[in-house]
Amino acid sequence: MSSPPPLLLEGRNLRKTYRLGRGNIVKALRGVEVEIAAGEMVAIMGPSGSGKSTLMHILGLLHGPDQDGGPPPELRVAGQDVTRLSDGARTRMRARQMGFVFQSFNLIPTLSALENVALAPDYAGASSVAAQAAGLDALELVGLADRARHRPAELSGGEQQRVAIARSLVNRPALVLADEPTGNLDTDRSTEILGLLRRFNREQGQTFVLVTHDPEVAAACDRIVRMRDGLISPALEPPALEPAAAAPRSAARESPSVPRSAEPARTPAPLRSD
Amino acid sequence: MHLLRNLTRRKVRTTLTILGITIGIWALVVFGSMANKINSLVEGGSSYFGDKIIVTDASDGVFGNAPMSLSVARGIDQVQGVAVAVPQIQLLLSTEGRGLSFDIPDQLQGQLAGADQGRETFVLRYTRGRGLAPEDEGRNVVVLGADLARDAGASVGGTFQVRDRPFEIVGILEPTLTAPDTTAYVPLRAAQEIFAESLPPIFRADLDTTDLASQVVVYPEQGADIAAVAARIETQVPNAATLTGAEFDTLVGSTTAIFNAIIVGVALISLVVGGLSVINTMAMAVAERTREIGIKRAIGGPRRRIIRELVTEAGLIGLIGGLLGLILGAVVIVLANEAGRESGTVLFELTPETAFFAVVFSTGLGMLAGLAPAWNAARLDPVTALRYE
Repeated sequence: MSSPPPLLLEGRNLRKTYRLGRGNIVKALRGVEVEIAAGEMVAIMGPSGSGKSTLMHILGLLHGPDQDGGPPPELRVAGQDVTRLSDGARTRMRARQMGFVFQSFNLIPTLSALENVALAPDYAGASSVAAQAAGLDALELVGLADRARHRPAELSGGEQQRVAIARSLVNRPALVLADEPTGNLDTDRSTEILGLLRRFNREQGQTFVLVTHDPEVAAACDRIVRMRDGLISPALEPPALEPAAAAPRSAARESPSVPRSAEPARTPAPLRSD
Repeated sequence: MHLLRNLTRRKVRTTLTILGITIGIWALVVFGSMANKINSLVEGGSSYFGDKIIVTDASDGVFGNAPMSLSVARGIDQVQGVAVAVPQIQLLLSTEGRGLSFDIPDQLQGQLAGADQGRETFVLRYTRGRGLAPEDEGRNVVVLGADLARDAGASVGGTFQVRDRPFEIVGILEPTLTAPDTTAYVPLRAAQEIFAESLPPIFRADLDTTDLASQVVVYPEQGADIAAVAARIETQVPNAATLTGAEFDTLVGSTTAIFNAIIVGVALISLVVGGLSVINTMAMAVAERTREIGIKRAIGGPRRRIIRELVTEAGLIGLIGGLLGLILGAVVIVLANEAGRESGTVLFELTPETAFFAVVFSTGLGMLAGLAPAWNAARLDPVTALRYE
């Protein structure tokens, strides 16, 4: 335990129960404990209904954990207790320190690629000129600078997801949460998107949490968190994949737990709390 | 830009909603201008009456048309608190009926020039020519109000027929938006002759035409209690009926207040309907964009921003509808006034205040209508909204 990398996310006693009408209660999370280090790329896997999306929503401050029904929940982002933040404070934190990528791309159809990307710095408080500039830079990073003026409908699925990735990265957030980022893409596009995420993780030192069904996506990550019935499976062993099948396998994947073998090329983007 | 794009997403729906507001604002502008015209007539009358007392003969109930003697004016002069009493003749310019109209009918007024000794406060200005002078007594000269002059196509030096008598036009008044616009001013002597002719022959037989008046305008002394002076005139002068400015206001004011309420009420009802359609449109827009709102919230869009965007969009619907309504209303008003001008009936007066109010009101109405849907949108749970199909 000599100087482990700082923890970016620390969750304990994370519970979430959904009441879907009379008597229909879904215990999506039953008391999860999770730690994710800065600079890690983690896959959350599990069957449908295992609670992996719920966990992502809680880690992404889209939902708060349940306060009742057990020991008090704890959630820290970069050391800051966020369990009881107001909606406004959580919104600000999402805007400034987090990026989101969704399965169905989720771009605003009336906005151009550039305007979609610029929305994130805009929400984080940047001037419109600065937001435009940052948006163009981010599109450049995903190789779409020449399509900046196109509307989502004029872009292919893979291109749309690259725009979404640009949007998630434009503020240089410490944490990027991706829900099935390759779920709607064919194999080639998947590999391309995965390569992009991996590259940003290495080059910019951003922490990625990916919810996925796809073993290949999981295999590209440093670590896999497996979920079942609202709990994290105790064993955090590397995925039982044949080496040949795990094509873009990273060297770091074999490391069993939090620490990574290689330092990121750049230090993680500093968390801003202003 | 983004807002305009959102407006054009559902072109038919947005257009229909804007049309709803347009009709409401159109009604407000047209009816409001009608009310303006009536109010300015009444206000003009009110400021014309001002601190004056009009005395008429009480034996005949009809205001301003029963003959009275000039000696009555001299009697009024003696009443305490009266500064000057000016006998006048006030007649309808034409003996032909002109049907029902909101307008004050054309008037003929005869008065000794300068008899008010400078106490008249309602200032008349002349676009052309001059006012009547004491030397004009005995001559057939006339000063025409703005509307009369325009309708007759009259110019200074020309001739104006008053009940088949030719009068030389010596002056034309600037528009006042009230009674003087439709009044022909003649010397007292000329008016007396016309008045005498209009009376039944029985009266005329033993009548001294030069002693004739139809009403007396009383200017009270400065600081005098007008109501008290009027009461004294009624008790001290036989057969005198008085009308003060305050009485005029209550007399006409209550009628116009009801009329205004009806007019504005009709316009407001149509605007409530327009406002409801904005609520409907915005609620549908929010439902359609649930997912987008979820995305915006998820990537850190503050609630206030979501509300502001939607409220601005709704306000824009109101603004466009308001501007269109104003333009349409102005077109209708200009056309109707042009058509009415020939018959001397100018019904509408579109003031800058009405125009400004209409547009500001419709914008505000739109924003208000957008508030509830926007509030609901901002309160959406981002995760639920993202799953929304």
